[in-house]
Amino acid sequence: MSVARTEPSGRAALALGVVGVISPAFALTTSSNNNFVLVQGLGLVVFPVLGLVAVLGVALAKRLIVILAGAGFALAALVQLAQFGRSPNWLDGNGSTFSLLMALGIGLLATALTPSVPSADESPAKNGTPRSGSEQSS
Amino acid sequence: MTRALIVVLRVGVALLWIENAGWKTPPDFTTLQKFTMYAVEYPVLGPFTWVTEALVLPNFIFFGWMTLLLEASLGAFLLIGLATRFWAVVGLVQTLAITLSVLNAPNEWEWSFYLMILAHVALFATAAGRVFGLDGVLRPIWRTSSSRVAGLLMRLS
Repeated sequence: MSVARTEPSGRAALALGVVGVISPAFALTTSSNNNFVLVQGLGLVVFPVLGLVAVLGVALAKRLIVILAGAGFALAALVQLAQFGRSPNWLDGNGSTFSLLMALGIGLLATALTPSVPSADESPAKNGTPRSGSEQSS
Repeated sequence: MTRALIVVLRVGVALLWIENAGWKTPPDFTTLQKFTMYAVEYPVLGPFTWVTEALVLPNFIFFGWMTLLLEASLGAFLLIGLATRFWAVVGLVQTLAITLSVLNAPNEWEWSFYLMILAHVALFATAAGRVFGLDGVLRPIWRTSSSRVAGLLMRLS
């Protein structure tokens, strides 16, 4: 699948990368009541760096770079899953950190690895099959 | 406006699960075990209490890991809007399990569980992943694919 910014999959990958970049904002929590995701320690570096890699991949329209970013998030998720509640805990995270890393990893890999869409002339929308309009309510 | 609010609902429910995956802490899942024992101490439904006492509590480490993986996955998939209708149903079932564990426990507000159930019903009803979610991005591709996985994902989204 193309990950160019002009393609829906590229825009989705870009959005996921941006989420990674801004994830350190979760560290601005003021209490346990608004501490949605635990991002601290090395996590403050891993999230934005991998997010930037994804953004770069979309900017350059290089699918492999987006796949690398997704694989990086997935690997970080596995490391977090194996380590939290124990020592060492390299990312200083917990189950919420694992969940967000998994979301970004699976999301980026899904957008970059899904086989390409047919050309516009072959797409169902061009052939009269309802698509975007009915997607919202069906 | 409607589309934006559907995204707010989906991301908000995702954050609910993500945050609450944070206190299911291995290796012993102490806090989760305390809440699970409420199903026995303050029974809601006899058969559920029996299953908890006979099956869940004696195998609690396994149960704790399954709960952690399930709830972290719920947060992850709802956040990115992938297979959203499937995960909305999973979230509803998990909410029912939580409800049957702690509904009668002290200091619990019953409507928090009813609202969680209703939120997942709304995610399912609106197929919320099709609005600014990966379901919306990938469904046109899945539709044109002849693979079984694509067909399954069409149904789950």
